[in-house]
Amino acid sequence: MATSANPDIAKAGSQIGRSLSRLESRDKVTGRAEYTHVMRLPGMLHAKIFRSTVAHGRIKSVDIDAATKVPGVLHVVTIEDIKEVIPDPYYGPAFHDQPIMADGKVRFIGEPVAVVLARDPHSADQAAQRITAEYDELPAVYDEIDAFTTKTFVHEELKPAGIFTDLKHLKGIRDTNVALDYRLRRGDFEKAYAAAKHKFEHEFKTQKVLHLSFEPFATIADYRDDGVIIYTASQGPSFVRTEIARLLGWPENKVRVKVPYVGSGYGSKLYIKLEALAVALSMIARKPVKVAATMEEMFYQITKHPSTFRIKSGVDDNGRIVARRCEVFWNGGAYADIGPRVTQKAGLTASGPYNIDNVWVDSYALYTNVTPSGSLRGFGLPQIAWAYESHMDMMARALKLDPAEFRRKNLLGEGGVHATGQAVVDAPLDKVLNTILERIEWGKPFDRGSGVVRRGRGFGVAIKAVTAPTTSVAIINIGGDGSATLYCGTVDMGQGSDTAMAQMVGEALNVPAEAVKIVHPDTDVTPYDMGTLGSRSLFHMGHAIQRAAEDVRNKIAVLRKEVGEPEGANTPIAELLQKRYGVQAGNIVGSGAFRPDYESPSRETGQSRNVTPFWLIGGAGAEVEVDTETGHVKISKLVCVVDAGKAVNPKIVETQISGGAVMQLGFTLFEKIHLDGGQVTNASLADYKIPSFHDLPTRMESLYVEHYQSNGPFGAKGVGESSMFCISPAVANAIDDAIGVRVTTLPLDPETVYRAIRAKAGKPLETA
Amino acid sequence: MIPFELAEPTSLAAAIALLDPDDATVRPIAGGTALMLMMKAGVFHPEKLVSLRKIERKYSDIRADDGLVIGAMTTLSALERSPEVKRLAPIVTRTLLTLSNVRVRNVATVGGALAHGDPHMDLPPVLMALHATATVTGPAGQRKLAMDDLFAGYYETTLGKNELISEVQVPAQGARRGAYLKVTTGSADDWPALGVAAVVESDGKTIRSASLVASAATEKATRLKSAEAVLNGANAADDVFRQAGDAAVADVEFIADVRGSVPYKRELLRVYVRRALSAALGDSGAG
Repeated sequence: MATSANPDIAKAGSQIGRSLSRLESRDKVTGRAEYTHVMRLPGMLHAKIFRSTVAHGRIKSVDIDAATKVPGVLHVVTIEDIKEVIPDPYYGPAFHDQPIMADGKVRFIGEPVAVVLARDPHSADQAAQRITAEYDELPAVYDEIDAFTTKTFVHEELKPAGIFTDLKHLKGIRDTNVALDYRLRRGDFEKAYAAAKHKFEHEFKTQKVLHLSFEPFATIADYRDDGVIIYTASQGPSFVRTEIARLLGWPENKVRVKVPYVGSGYGSKLYIKLEALAVALSMIARKPVKVAATMEEMFYQITKHPSTFRIKSGVDDNGRIVARRCEVFWNGGAYADIGPRVTQKAGLTASGPYNIDNVWVDSYALYTNVTPSGSLRGFGLPQIAWAYESHMDMMARALKLDPAEFRRKNLLGEGGVHATGQAVVDAPLDKVLNTILERIEWGKPFDRGSGVVRRGRGFGVAIKAVTAPTTSVAIINIGGDGSATLYCGTVDMGQGSDTAMAQMVGEALNVPAEAVKIVHPDTDVTPYDMGTLGSRSLFHMGHAIQRAAEDVRNKIAVLRKEVGEPEGANTPIAELLQKRYGVQAGNIVGSGAFRPDYESPSRETGQSRNVTPFWLIGGAGAEVEVDTETGHVKISKLVCVVDAGKAVNPKIVETQISGGAVMQLGFTLFEKIHLDGGQVTNASLADYKIPSFHDLPTRMESLYVEHYQSNGPFGAKGVGESSMFCISPAVANAIDDAIGVRVTTLPLDPETVYRAIRAKAGKPLETA
Repeated sequence: MIPFELAEPTSLAAAIALLDPDDATVRPIAGGTALMLMMKAGVFHPEKLVSLRKIERKYSDIRADDGLVIGAMTTLSALERSPEVKRLAPIVTRTLLTLSNVRVRNVATVGGALAHGDPHMDLPPVLMALHATATVTGPAGQRKLAMDDLFAGYYETTLGKNELISEVQVPAQGARRGAYLKVTTGSADDWPALGVAAVVESDGKTIRSASLVASAATEKATRLKSAEAVLNGANAADDVFRQAGDAAVADVEFIADVRGSVPYKRELLRVYVRRALSAALGDSGAG
C-alpha cells in the first residue's frame, strides 16, 4: 500500500471514526498472541516467593535449609543476598519505600520474605513450602481512619522518590502514616457553610477490591554484565527502565524492557512491580529468571484503595450549593506505590462537577499493614464519585428537590470555573446528564412494584482530570516501499490501542489502518512513553503521532525537492526513495513528542489555571429491583454515557464503556477482599467472584456523546475509565428510590442491603 | 503441584484394592474437578491417586425401572441430558441446569459430588430430599447407605478410605413435587450461600409428606425435620410455609463465611424454605 505524499487530496476523515475490528483479534483467538506469563527462555529458572504470615513484625530468623535440599533447587534467596547485588534495594514510583523483599521488617501478610529458584516451577513451589520464618510481632494498623490517629507507624520515615516535585516537602518526616496530605482551598468554606440555610454531612466508605487481570503478574529478567533484558507484563516499560537503571546505577541504554501483549492491567501493572525482584534474582543466579504470580498471589501485589470520604455541603434556599468540604482518607497499604498520586489526582476533583464557590478538600494517603493499593481504572475517581453522587441524591431527597433538577442547578457549564481554578472546556456535562435521564426515562411514569420486589431508578454524573503533565514520544518509519511502521510505547493490554494508534497513523498519512505496522514496546527500539494509564494514551500518543507524521511529511517535501519533483506533486513515496537511492531502499523517519501545558497546583490552595489538558466525563443510570426479604439487588437496566470526544473507533469505544461498566458493577454489588487481622480470607477465585454473564443487567446501553475535543488529536480523548465513575452511586440512588433505604458502604451486597432494610425498620439484625 | 503416582485400574474391585484405609494421601479420583483445585491450592498433596475412569462401563450407566439406578461414574452432564432422569426425577434435571458450569458438568461425576462431602454442592441436598440411597462397595462387599447417613461433617463422610460409592438409587418422584433453590450472594455463578431442596407430596390441599434439606449455609447437607413436622398433615398454604421456614432455623447449625453471617443466613433460610415450598407446590411449573 503506497503512502501518499499529500494527504490533502485524500478523503479526509477516512480512518477516524471507522469501527475497525481489532488488528490482533485473529492472533488472540487462535492463541498466537505472545504474553509474558507463558513465555520461556532457554535455561530459565523459576522463582517461587515465600511470604510473610505476619502483618507487622521484625524478622527474627528465616530457615531455608530444608528448601535448599529439594531436588531441582539452585538458590534460596533472602534480602541479604539481594543486598549483595543491589545494595540499596528500595524502589517505587512516588516513594522509594518498598524493598525488593522484606528488609528486617514485614509490613503486610503476603510480603515476600524469601525466594526459591529452581529448574521447574513445581520444585520451586515445593521448596518454598519448606521455608519457615520467625517474627517479633508488632502492633498493626489496617483501617485508614485508625492509621490517621494511631501511634503505630508502618514506616519509620517518609522517603519520597523525588521525581514528583509536589512530594518533596515530605522527605524525612517521621512518626506518621500520612504519606501525602493534599489540600485544595477555594473561597471561604467555613464562612459560607456557617451561613448556609441547609447543611448536610455524610460519610461514605469503599472496600478493598482486586484488579484481577486475566494474565497474572509475570516478569522474566535476563541479566548479563553488559546489560539486562526484561520481558514483562507491564503498562509502563519506560518507567521500568528508568527505575531498574537507577537501582543498578547504570545508564538507561543498558536496560532493555520488552512488553508483548498484556492480558489486561487496569492500573495494576503500572510503574514497577516484579521487575526489580526478577532482575536481582537473575543477577544472583546468572541465568534468566521468571517470576510469575498465580491468581492467588495477585491478592498480595496491589489492590484498589479502600477509602473513607467525609463530605459536608451547605445549600441555600434556591437549591444552590454554596459550600462543600471533602475529607478523603485513602487506605494505601504497606507501600506507597502510586497511592500519593491517586490521593492528589482524585482529591483535586473531589468536590465533583459542580459550580461551588467555597470548597475545602483534604485528601490523605495513609500507610496501613495490608497489601499495597494503587491505581485501578479511574485513579480514585470511582471512590470519589460514589461519595459525592450519593451525597447529591441524599440532599435532593431531604430538600424534596428532584435529583435531576438539583444537579442541573449546580452543574458546571461550559467555560465555568472548576474548584481547582481551571476553566472547564470541552466538558459536555449537561449533554451526558441529559442523555442518561432520557434513556432511563426519568420523570416518566414508572412501575415501582408492590409486595416483596420493589423497583427504583437512580443516576449520577462525574468529572475527572487526566493525569498531568505526562510525555509521549512516537516514531514513524516509512520503508523503501512506502509502508509505514509506528514505534510506540503504548501497551495494548486489551483496550485496543494498537488499532486506534494505527487508525491515527493511517489518518495522518492517508493509508488504511490495516496497512500500518505497530512495533510493541521495546525500550531499545520504541521511544519514551510515560505509561498506559489514566485514559491518557489516545490523547498524548495521538498528539505525538500527529507530530511524527508532520515530521515525515516535511521530510518527504525535502526529498521531493532533492529528486527534482515539482512542488505539490503526488508522487508515491516509494518512487521518491527509488529516485533518491536508485533501488528500493532507504527510510523516512519522523518523530514527534508531546507534553501538554501544565501549571502545578499551589501546595497551599491547590489552585492552578491549567491542571489537566482535558476533562473526562462519565455518567450512569440504573434501574433496580430490590428483594426486600433478602436484600438481593437485580439491575434491570443499566445506561452508561460518556464523553468520547471524537470517537476514533466507535466499536472499541462501546466495548470500553460496557467493559468498564461491568467491572465497576462487580465492585458495586459484591466484590470484596475480606480481611481478618490483616489476613486475606478469600484469596482465590473460588471465593473472590467477579461478574459472570448471568450477572449482566437485563438491559444494558453503552452510549457516548460525541463532542469534538478542540485540543485533542483528531478531536479525540480517552474513554477507558469514564464508564466506571457513576455505576456505584447510580445503583445506591436507585435502591433508595426503590425502598427508601440508603447504603453508604460498598459493596451493596445482599446482606448489607438487608441489614440496612432491617435497621430502617427499627429491627436491626444482630451482628454475629 | 508436587509429583504423585497415578493408578488407572480397569475394575472397581482393583480400584478398591489399591486404596489404603489408613493413608489419607491415597485417594480415588473421578472427574477431579474438586480434587485438582485442592491440589493446585496446595491443601492436598497426594502420594497416589487412583483414577476411576477406566473401571467397568456399567458404573457410568443410568438404568430406569420404578426408580433410577445411577452408576457413580455417570457425569453430571449425562444426568442432565437423560430422558429417564427427566421423567422419573425432574427436580434433578432442573437442578443440574444451574449447577456449576458446562465444563465442570462434562467431567464431574455423581459419585464424586457425593463422596467429596462438600456442603456447597447442589446435588446432595436434592438426592437427600428424594430419599435416595447409595450402594457403597468396599473390600468386604457392598452395603446400602441412606443419603441422611452419608455426610458426617464439613468435607467429611461416613465412607471408609477404602470404600467407594458404586451406585445411587433414586426412587421415582411419582406424585411428589419438588424444587431446589440456590441462593448466591456474590456473582450468579458463585458457590451458594444457601441451598434448599423441598420434595413434597400433597393431595392439592393437605400435605401428606414433606422432605426438606438445607445445604451450603451448613457444615453438611441437613434434613429440616422440625419444618417437615410442621408441614406433615398441614394445609398447603402460605402461612404454613412461613411457619415451616421459621421452624427450619432450629434444625440448622449455620456457618459464617465470606458469603454471609450466621444471622443473615438464618433469615435466608426462613425465606427460602417458604419460597421452595411455594415453588414446589405452586404454579411455577415445578413438578
